[in-house]
Amino acid sequence: MADQATFEADIREFIPQLYSAALRMTRNPADAQDVLQEALLKAFRGYHTFKAGTNLKAWLYRILTNTFINRYRQKARRPSEVELGELEDLYLFKRLGETGTGGASRSAEEEALDQFVDSDIKGAVEALPENFRLPVLLADVEGFSYKEIAEIMDVPIGTVMSRLHRGRKQLQRALWRVAEERGIGTGS
Amino acid sequence: MKSDCHKAQVKVYHYLDGEIGRYRSWRIQRHLRRCPPCTDGFSFESKLQQRIREDCVDDMPEELMARLTTFIRQNGPTDTSVDPTAGGSDV
Repeated sequence: MADQATFEADIREFIPQLYSAALRMTRNPADAQDVLQEALLKAFRGYHTFKAGTNLKAWLYRILTNTFINRYRQKARRPSEVELGELEDLYLFKRLGETGTGGASRSAEEEALDQFVDSDIKGAVEALPENFRLPVLLADVEGFSYKEIAEIMDVPIGTVMSRLHRGRKQLQRALWRVAEERGIGTGS
Repeated sequence: MKSDCHKAQVKVYHYLDGEIGRYRSWRIQRHLRRCPPCTDGFSFESKLQQRIREDCVDDMPEELMARLTTFIRQNGPTDTSVDPTAGGSDV
């Protein structure tokens, strides 16, 4: 059982990354601050239910994720998510390679990756539908294991894997569109 | 595509995420040692994951930390009966 007296000191180090995660979830700073504030208050009030010695970061992310989902459920639950067909593995790598410079360099595709700017990647993540965006955020940005993500999102681990993999592929498709628009990977 | 390449590529995320058993991991490593195109592909995926990790992190406004801690102190322990992790999340 955790002690409320030490709450602030215990969780302080996680607040900046929780803010960043909230920003990726809500996609704007005002909503991110609201979600984070509500989540921290819930965490503080319920801190006695946290089992000391278990994963505090995962516990906090679970509260943040729940808070986000409950608050934005109606907004987020648009039925307009288009189900894309299954994309092949290494989708973006293969697309960039096809247009490439003839394989002179071992890492022509990685050089192409360097031509994406930060906002391309961030924009592609934020453009993912919520049920794909959350697992991608939790895995790729926060480094949680599949099992931890399953607990945070309260879904079976198989669902986590399937959404994570489909989310990553959808992200690659979005980045490929950016690459085509900007001539990335064409050797220019 | 050669079947060894396919077998490795369908597991690329499990492999990079460290969510794969030792035997399968060893099999993939053995394939990668023999297959430069798959090695490049795996390296690319790894680098893309790293870019996602780096590019999706924003700095928090400095005054926000103070605002949040003040808010918690002022609105804190009124109702402690609720499990904060409870709540529907069947996204």
